[in-house]
Amino acid sequence: MLEIRNLHAVVEGEELEILKGVNLTVNKGEIHAIMGPNGSGKSTLSKVVSGHPEYEVTEGTILFEGEDITEMDADERAHLGLFLAFQYPVEVPGITNKTLLREAYNTIARANEREELDPLEFEDYLVSKLEIIEMKDEFLNRSINTGFSGGEKKKNEIFQMAVLNPRLSFLDETDSGLDIDALKLVSDGVNKIASPENAIVMITHYQRLLNYIKPDFVHVMLDGKIVKSGDISLAVELEANGYDQMQKELA
Amino acid sequence: MSTVRTKELIHAYIQLPGVLRENFSELRSQAKETLDNCAFPTKKDEEWRFTDLKSITANKFESVDTGITQAELELDEFHLPEATHSRLVFIDGNFSPTHSAIEGMPDGVIVGNLSDFSENEQLRSHLGSMTNYDDDVFVPLNDVNFQDGTFIYVPKETVIEQPIHILNVFTDRNHPHFVTPRVLFVGEMYSKATIIEEHIGLSDNVYLNVPVNEFRLYSGAHVHHARIQRDSKNASHVSRPVAMLDAHAEYHSYTICLGAKLFRNEPRVIQNAEEVDFTVDGLVLIDGEQIADTHSIMDHRFSHGNSHQLHKVVVNDQAHSIFNGKIFVAKDAQKIDSFQENRNLLISDTGKVNTKPQLEIFADDVRCSHGATIGQLQDEEVFYLQSRGLTEQKSRELLVYAFALESVESMAVKSVEELLLKEVIAYTNRD
Repeated sequence: MLEIRNLHAVVEGEELEILKGVNLTVNKGEIHAIMGPNGSGKSTLSKVVSGHPEYEVTEGTILFEGEDITEMDADERAHLGLFLAFQYPVEVPGITNKTLLREAYNTIARANEREELDPLEFEDYLVSKLEIIEMKDEFLNRSINTGFSGGEKKKNEIFQMAVLNPRLSFLDETDSGLDIDALKLVSDGVNKIASPENAIVMITHYQRLLNYIKPDFVHVMLDGKIVKSGDISLAVELEANGYDQMQKELA
Repeated sequence: MSTVRTKELIHAYIQLPGVLRENFSELRSQAKETLDNCAFPTKKDEEWRFTDLKSITANKFESVDTGITQAELELDEFHLPEATHSRLVFIDGNFSPTHSAIEGMPDGVIVGNLSDFSENEQLRSHLGSMTNYDDDVFVPLNDVNFQDGTFIYVPKETVIEQPIHILNVFTDRNHPHFVTPRVLFVGEMYSKATIIEEHIGLSDNVYLNVPVNEFRLYSGAHVHHARIQRDSKNASHVSRPVAMLDAHAEYHSYTICLGAKLFRNEPRVIQNAEEVDFTVDGLVLIDGEQIADTHSIMDHRFSHGNSHQLHKVVVNDQAHSIFNGKIFVAKDAQKIDSFQENRNLLISDTGKVNTKPQLEIFADDVRCSHGATIGQLQDEEVFYLQSRGLTEQKSRELLVYAFALESVESMAVKSVEELLLKEVIAYTNRD
């Protein structure tokens, strides 16, 4: 589904490399976790894959379903089925969740030559997705993330994911700032959305999220590269020994 | 060595009628005297230093003959369904009885053409009583020249349910002309009315529109007043709307600026007794080489007043927005609660914004907040929407729309709200 080959990237207009040759393959039905300390480049990886204009790819390719998407705009990637759950979801006063999601859903449907939903059909569809994340329907008519608590914002990201039904989702530090109840709720939501037909890549600093969403693969990212891959036991090892220990071993 | 610069008088740019009009002779002769002696503003004047008046001074405007009717003109598209029986239409300043419709007003209410009521006591005692602008040529210009206009009188405890639509349209006259629309509104104790005042250019012709509004609200009167400026993109518009409020009166005004090459609006609300509540909100959407300038005064002369001013501006291309918001609080006017905010969104690299809140507070127990922001669309907001599948263009449009929406939602009249939503969409889709 996703194949990242020798990916190098810088902040647009700057010299310093943030990604220094990332290789990663994700297949349908898989859940991956990318772990790493602050500044290792894991959040950057999720932004580069979803097409953030702030970054420039200097070398390497990103293939999605065999198609080279390295130079595509973010919206075109979304049309293909890519989704990014933001670490810091953006507040957009004046535009309701419902307006954004209907516009997004129908734009993606058009791009894929699927039928669009009229306002009434879309309302029913939206309401059917609310239970995934135990959200109240009044949520739909509120401005996007405006005045939401940290937990509500993260829930809203997962709700958007449920509605847009992407093929591949990057969850960027979705666990950060969540209390235990919210973490359970958000994880339950992700587990309900995960299917043999889609794939999920979680970006996280801590192992705690992996207690609720079980990854098939765990990767460790240090200094702009994936340095080690394995199964869940890698996460357990990291939690016990820390990133410093691993850095020493590798050196 | 200093040189004394002789300033031009208004006669340099505007061809006034040779003979003074017969009615309201006292008002007119005073105004005529002011015009003969008062210099036309230039950028050297503090109140005009950011405002380029070229679109006025590059022309010579002629007055429009009175009494011309253009019954054949098709104006149905501008009608508001809520105001089918409460509409006054003025074509190049001349009242058009065939286009107007006033029916079923409550007893004692007057809604009609000013020049038909020149002997009315209420009209005579109020006309020209509130428009005391210093060193000003535009009110006197209106005083001298207006013929037709709007007169609304609402008796005590009377409510006019339907909104009153004052529709000013401007046709192409093959020569720059000037028009001086006039509104006098008198609301007696606990009366209530909604006024939609609209200015529409029917082509891209050059004209000068100089409206003067006087709103007198006695105790407990409530007025909701929407002003929609859709003048020709080559027109100049200089407005002088004044409201004077007695105790417990409420006056809420919303000015929407979409058209005109030059728009200079000077709304002024005067608190004339204790406990009043008023709004002076604005929304400006400009592009090309438009200039939109708001110089407002919220004048608290007595205690316990609430005032609110949210002035929102979107600037595209080389357009230029100017805001000067004055809040006056007199020495004995305690417990004033005044809010002022000017939010500007620049969506081009070449647009320009000047903004200046100006608070002059002489009382010690008041709460006055003010703020001004100038911003661009945030890249992170655009990316967020784009990552959800919206094109970059659509994302930007939606963000501008969201910025403008708040002001549009305040319009009390459904069809006006819909009209403005369409205008906002047209503005954001312009590229």
